[in-house]
Formats: sequence, structure tokens, C-alpha cells
Amino acid sequence: MDDNILLKTVKLKKYFPLTGGVFRKVVGKVHAVDGVNLDIVKGETLGVVGESGCGKTTLGRTILRLLSPTSGKIIFDGRDITRLDQKDLRSIRREMQIVFQDPMASLDPRITIKKTVGEPLIVNGVAKGQQVRNMVLDLLQKVGLTEDHLNRFPHEFSGGQRQRICIARALALNPKFVVMDEPTSSTDVSVQAQTLNLMKDLQDEFDLTYMFISHNLSVVKHMSDRVAVMYLGQVVELTPQDLFRKSYHPYTFALVSAVPVPDPRFAGRAQILKGEVPSPINPPTGCRFHPRCVFAQGICKRQEPKLDDMGGGHFVACHFAGELDFGISSQMDYASAVGRE
Amino acid sequence: MSDTEKIRTSDEVSAIDKADMDLVLQVEDLVTNFYTYEGTVLALDRVNLFLRRGDTMGVVGETGCGKSVSAKSILRLVEPPGRIEHGRILFNALDRKTGEITTTDLLELSEKEMLGIRGAKIAIVFQDPATYPNPVFRVGTQISEVIKLHQDLSAEGLEMRIEELGAEIKYRELQESDRIRRSEAEKRRKGSDYDEKDQEKETKHKEKYKAQQTRMERKLGYLKGMIDNPPEPPKLYRDAVAMRRAIKMLEMVKMPAADRVVMQYPHELSGGMRQRALIAMALSCNPNILICDEATTALDVTVQAQVLNLLNELKEEIGTSIMIITHDLGVVAETCNWVNVMYAGTTVESAATDELFSNPIHPYTSGLLQAIPKLHENKERLDQILGIVPNLITPPPGCRFHPRCEFATEICRQDRPDLREIKPMHFVACHNPQGSF
Repeated sequence: MDDNILLKTVKLKKYFPLTGGVFRKVVGKVHAVDGVNLDIVKGETLGVVGESGCGKTTLGRTILRLLSPTSGKIIFDGRDITRLDQKDLRSIRREMQIVFQDPMASLDPRITIKKTVGEPLIVNGVAKGQQVRNMVLDLLQKVGLTEDHLNRFPHEFSGGQRQRICIARALALNPKFVVMDEPTSSTDVSVQAQTLNLMKDLQDEFDLTYMFISHNLSVVKHMSDRVAVMYLGQVVELTPQDLFRKSYHPYTFALVSAVPVPDPRFAGRAQILKGEVPSPINPPTGCRFHPRCVFAQGICKRQEPKLDDMGGGHFVACHFAGELDFGISSQMDYASAVGRE
Repeated sequence: MSDTEKIRTSDEVSAIDKADMDLVLQVEDLVTNFYTYEGTVLALDRVNLFLRRGDTMGVVGETGCGKSVSAKSILRLVEPPGRIEHGRILFNALDRKTGEITTTDLLELSEKEMLGIRGAKIAIVFQDPATYPNPVFRVGTQISEVIKLHQDLSAEGLEMRIEELGAEIKYRELQESDRIRRSEAEKRRKGSDYDEKDQEKETKHKEKYKAQQTRMERKLGYLKGMIDNPPEPPKLYRDAVAMRRAIKMLEMVKMPAADRVVMQYPHELSGGMRQRALIAMALSCNPNILICDEATTALDVTVQAQVLNLLNELKEEIGTSIMIITHDLGVVAETCNWVNVMYAGTTVESAATDELFSNPIHPYTSGLLQAIPKLHENKERLDQILGIVPNLITPPPGCRFHPRCEFATEICRQDRPDLREIKPMHFVACHNPQGSF
């Protein structure tokens, strides 16, 4: 089993200092990622979902060492990369890449696509001269672009095409692991479907392992083999099963049932979560979800629940995991109704 | 809806005829162009929309299909280089007091008359709650500004003045009785020392009090006399009344601690709270129509569910007709009872929500419905619509969807399909309609 694990994080923490006052003293910490233990198996897609500010993106960037972790360990391909210096990191970075949320912001508007996609090849000494052009063309064709596009600038492309360019650039060095940070959140439904299909195809072709970060639950469910649900910097549920059918954590259930069902027959059945996500500067004590949880009891305030295995690799961090009766969500209703039809 | 009109006349009593009376907004053949350096962007090409009173109507489509431009055209907020070229926007305003309905064509009003419509009769909530409220004014000030601008505050202002004056008279009475009690105690204490001088002082006090009290009572009577025909209140009272209404509006949108929030600045609020404040602002003048331009797109699902729920509740409370512009079909299914699907500046399909979702007729609608990842399915691949949205400077001739349509035939390339009533209450603009009808 251990051989199969491509990436492992042990109690990974990332705090951002909060400065204030005349001398920019550190007055507090933002607990962006607070003790995350994750294993990512080779060839799988691990989905990460949560509301904005729950630390999904920070987790993705910390894993890639784009941000240096406050404490904890990151083990990539059997090697501890938590404290590697920049020089050693460069070789590791060839193996792990990222696709950012906003493709326009992550492409240099002043250089052509050929240069953008070719740059990692040149920097890492993979190819030279004519060879670069051929490799770039090959990559662009794989993501569904053509030779005409080679000498164009990013502004000449549509949103979906730009995202394809970003994907091509990420794949240029033949990585093992790619973090997809909200790759489709700025695209339309029809383009989103194209991008998601493309990513699935490329995963098979290049034998990739994905970490797929998104706030869109249906997209994550579609893409992922396992899904981690994050709340205020912590993983509250990690499941290989269908999130929409079986969830043990009350937060997951509330999150799932808040997703609007694209069927008018099931309108207005969302279970509505009170309030908003508390500030990660002073997260609540004990279980971080307890102020918004309808099932919260005394113990939830005092003691932080551990991520426990509920069987079959389904981990839940809740004191009453498996004992709670959430009722039926509109999603389940919908699923069973569609199943019957 | 000139195209459907023909069909309607042939039918004797069509369902839409009855519904027609109830239309609050009717957009007919709206054409809006943007004159840019690259060429003329044909953003809206004969768009037809209608909104029935009390309905929630959804407008869905991809980026650049003209959803937001439609909303802006309705409010005449299209800025140069854009221009509304053609069409009619019939607005049947309902006067809440008299129950009268007046029909106006918004495109024929002057800019000054438009100011009386925007915010007061048709209100809009924009997409990004982070940029929309003015960051340098307090939330309460911004909401009360709308109220002061559009609403008659004189009755409430007068009421407030009467209330205040009455309270003051009562307070003076209490003060006086207190003083009398004290002076009597003084009198007892002094005993024989109490002389004429003190007596004189006492009567002087009493006279002064009486004069003051009669003056105030006369003023109160004067104010009460005006109650049938209240005058414009002084600025101080206008502000106070408007602020009081602003707090009431915030309470209506379930803002926690509304009286504190009015004194806060927008950056102190979270995204969901800001969107609530904007909705409160939009609803503060009891508009006939509320347009939500991607109002929940920037919010998280849980907060989005809260806001959508709020909109549904408020619609019944205030009796506003809502037009929701979104790209999320889930939001439409959740809130709307009528849907318009737009593609590249044209309305392609328009039907009741149940009908549209169960029986999409236009190939684009069914493609859109299939492209969303469903929660209950375990599909390896999503069904995708091939190609991309066309450039609106040189849109495809004929049906604008034909290059991406699998059912396209020769006629689609040449002739633009009109929106017609393919079956009762289901309007489609397609030469080769699919599905059952």
C-alpha cells in the first residue's frame, strides 16, 4: 500500500501571520491549514471541496511548496520535501505542477503561447531549438489546439482555450502529480464540460495523479475517486464513496443539500445552514463546526474530534459519526427519483 | 412578441391572452449594439422576454449571450459605445395605493423620467457584492439615500415629529412635577423662613412652565392638524425617518443586528451580508420588478441557499416580480417558475420551468442540461456541446446556434428562426425542434 502512495501529508499546518500596529507586530495568526493528514494514491483523483476561506487553495499550494508549511511533513514519492531548499525543489517541481483558477492572470500577456508552453522545457533543459517547437505543438494538439495557435498571444483566446493552454504548460515536463486549483470556476457550463472531459482523457494518457480543488460539489464528484471535505483548515470528511449518497459529517450533509438541484420538482428543499464560516483567525474551540451544527452537544465544544475510519476508507471527524440521523436531502430524493425513472 | 401575436390572433382564447393582462414587463424585439473599434457587436438581436406579475423569471445562458445586456437595456443603463437600437420595453407599473396599472414604453421616456423608474419601480442587484456598494459610505446611509430619493416620507416624518413633541411634553410634565415636589420639600424645611421672595420665584417658574407647555401643545395641535396633508419634513427628520426605514429593511432581509449594521461600512460585512444589504437596498422602495444579475454567483453554496430562500420569502411578502439572471441551471430550477434560455443575443427557448427541464425542445437547451455534471450519475464523460460561443461581431448567418448544432440543416444556415409557440406556453426559436410537442 505504501508504495502506491504518491503524496502524503502529516499534520500539515500553514499559518499566516497577521500584523498590526506601528511596528507591524504579529498580532495573530490565520489558521489557513490546520493539521491535515492526507494520502494521495498514484493514479487517483483526490477532490477537495469546501466553502471559500476553508483553506483548499492554501493546502494545494503548500503541498507544492509554493508556500512553506508552518509545521508538519510533506512526503512526495517517498521523499520528505518539507524542508528542501529552492535548488533541490527545482527537480521535484518537474514532477508536480499546478493549474490555476484564473487562466488570464496566470498567462503572461506579452509572450506567445509557444514561448509560454516552451519555457519550462527550456528552463529545465529538456529540449532545445526546433525540438521545443515540436514538443510544444505536440502538447497543444493533445489539449485540442492547432498549429495556428502557436504564435498567438493569450488575449486572442477564449476562456476555455486559455485554460487548455495552462493545462498544456502544466503537462510540458511530464509530471506525475498535478494540482487543479478551481480550473473550471470561471468557465461556462458547456466549456466546463469540455475541459473536464479533456482532463480525464489526459489523466489516462499521461498516467497522472490529480488533486482537484473546487467549490463546485457536482464537478468534484464527477472528477474524483475520493473526496476530502474541508472546513476551516481541517479535513472533516474523506470518502471514497458518493458524497451525495452517504455522508457522516453534518457539515458535509448541509453542504451537499445546499447545492441547487437542476430539477424544478425538487425546489426549495435545501437544508439551510445558519450563519457563515467563522473567522480562521480565532477558530472555535473543539469541533470547529459546532457553532453552526444542529446536533452539537457539550463535548463538541470542548474536544476536537479525530478523523476516524468508518470502514472502507471513509474517514470522518465527528464525535457522533454514524449516530446522527440527517434525514433525506433533496439530492438523495432526486437521485432516487431519477433512478426509478 | 410580434411573432407570437400572429399565432395568438388565430387562436380564439389562448392561455397567453389571459396572462397578457398580468404581464408586468414585456420586452419586444430588443436590439442593442455596441460600436467598438473592431466592429459592431450585435449583443442583442431581437430579444423577446416577458415577466408576469408575481412570477420569478429566470434568464439563463453562457457568458456573452446577452443576459446582463438585456437587464441593463431594460433599465436603460447601457453605456456608450453601446446603444439600444430598436424594440419596445413595455412596463406595466402597478400603483400600490390605487391599484391602477399604467403602461409605459421605457425606451420612450426621457432620462429624467427614467430616474423615477430606476430604483423605485425597477430595482437591480448586481453580481459582485465586493465592488457594488460604495466603500466610503455607511450601509445605512446608502440604503436611506434610495429611500429619501424615491419615497414620500412626509407622513412618517410628521408622525415622528408629533411623537417626539408628545414625548417632550410628557418629559417636561414629569420634570415640572419633580420640581414642584422638590420646592415643596424646600418650603417645609425652611418653615417660617420661606418668604415672599421665594413665593415670587415659585410663581414665576410656574408661569414660565405653563407658557411653554401651552406653546408646545399649540404646536402639537398644529402638527396634528396637518396630518391629512403632511408637508415635506425638515432634513433632520427626513434623515431620521429614512434611517429608521433602512433598519426595517435590513431586518426584513434577516440581517443580524440590523441597527448596528446601518452604522458599518461595506468592508466590515461578509459577502453574504453585503448581498443581503444590497437586496434590502433594492427592495426598499417596494419595486414592481427586482432584477438579480448573477446575484448569488459570487457566494458559497450554503450562503447562496440562504439568499435564494430569502428571495423566495420576500417575493411573497412584498409582491415583487423577480427576474433572475444566472448561468446556473440549479438556481433556476430552485427559484424560477418561468425560464428564458438565451444564446448569442437571441432568446432560443422560453417556457415554464417544469416544462423546460422535463421537455427541452431547442437543441441548445438540451445540450446545456446535459452538460452539467449530475449528482446521481456516475458517468465517465460528460455530454458536451461542441465548439465555442460565436463572436458577436460576425455572428453566424441564419440561426446563430447552427455551427454547433447536430441537427442543423440547410435552412438553419440561411434563415433566422423566429420565436414561436410550438405548443401552448412553450416558445422555441428553432427550425428543427427536437423532443416531444
